[in-house]
Amino acid sequence: MLLELAQYLAKDVRAFNVFGYITLRAVLACLTALAISFIAGPLVIRKLTAYKIGQSVRDDGPQSHLTKAGTPTMGGALILVSIGITSLLWGDLSNRFLWAVLVVTLGFGTIGWIDDYRKVVERNPKGLSARTKFAWQSLIGVIAAVYLAFAVSSPSNAKIFDLFWAWVGSGFSMTLPPKADLILPFFKNIAYPLGVWGFIVLTYLVIVGTSNAVNLTDGLDGLAIMPAVMIAGALGIFAYVAGNTVYSKYLLLPYIPGAGELTVFCGALAGAGLGFLWFNAYPAEVFMGDVGALAIGAALGTVAVIVRQEIVLLIMGGVFVAETLSVMVQVLYFKWSGGKRIFRMAPLHHHYELSGWKESQVVVRFWIITMMLVLFGLSTLKLR
Amino acid sequence: MSALRKSGTTGAMGEAHVRDFGANVTATPIAPVRFWIITMMLVLFGLSTLKLR
Repeated sequence: MLLELAQYLAKDVRAFNVFGYITLRAVLACLTALAISFIAGPLVIRKLTAYKIGQSVRDDGPQSHLTKAGTPTMGGALILVSIGITSLLWGDLSNRFLWAVLVVTLGFGTIGWIDDYRKVVERNPKGLSARTKFAWQSLIGVIAAVYLAFAVSSPSNAKIFDLFWAWVGSGFSMTLPPKADLILPFFKNIAYPLGVWGFIVLTYLVIVGTSNAVNLTDGLDGLAIMPAVMIAGALGIFAYVAGNTVYSKYLLLPYIPGAGELTVFCGALAGAGLGFLWFNAYPAEVFMGDVGALAIGAALGTVAVIVRQEIVLLIMGGVFVAETLSVMVQVLYFKWSGGKRIFRMAPLHHHYELSGWKESQVVVRFWIITMMLVLFGLSTLKLR
Repeated sequence: MSALRKSGTTGAMGEAHVRDFGANVTATPIAPVRFWIITMMLVLFGLSTLKLR
């Protein structure tokens, strides 16, 4: 919105051309989202408190967590509002990828909202049933995956349908251009051709998987949001490179026209996340709830798919991956062994808490691990 | 410990807000985290001077 205004004003005052730069708009988006979170945060917390929207705590969890019961939740709505307003303000509204990521983010946020609302407002402990929640996540994930399979491979929306009909006409056997291949980090010339079906399946798994992984990680104050902020920042750099002809060629990455605009979205996500962390830092005044966790995870997954960095997301989101694997391993081993456990408790952060680490120690140490992993992920820009 | 804490379920918000943060934590890391956020903001602001000139 402001980009269009700046372009209009630049006809008379050339200085407004500066807003055409993605990097500047990304920084401004970050600061704007941060400001919105700071201003709206106390208001949202007061409202959530007034409506008695408080978190319930699992009885079998660590004893120290029982004091968290009743803390306002669904604060993720603040993040979504902040991201939405900021992206519309600073983003290029003619950019297809910006809209795709926004729709997926808000779609997953809506699923989380309904689940949270039923749990904490309607006092229905089941919320949305796991099956219903997964079905809705899958629906959005599949639609996004089909769209992105052709959007990533086409230079503009106008060409998407041409490519789609060509695929249908080929009896669903047509392959996608090399830019849609799965890139193996650290290898210059190795990329796995996915084909349309492979792309759709992988994209679906990345979006839905990341969404649920962030949700599982969101169990301690600030644990999920800070890694999400760091990964968003790194993906913003990847998006800038992928959307720039010169840098993408220099760094041997696929050029995805329009992907650069996602730098603005990533800036907004990072700013909104930091603003939320202000209130979510230990001891938290508000929790993000499923509305925030599912949406943020889906956003990160979608951006990673568009900039063709699925494996790098897996590396940078190592904490999310470890948390998810810990739950899977715990459940499988429990069933297989007839009641034995590998971890003291799953997800992984509870294991460390029960091992004697303080909550804030677990959180900050997981942040440090994520910082290292993000740096490692960023090194793949050059190390290939 | 209040009934709310014992039950571990969503309870009245009034009770939640009388929760005594100080009694349950030896150190409150909220201040350092907020200082980190302010620093990150200032770093971003500094970085914007790369282009804004």
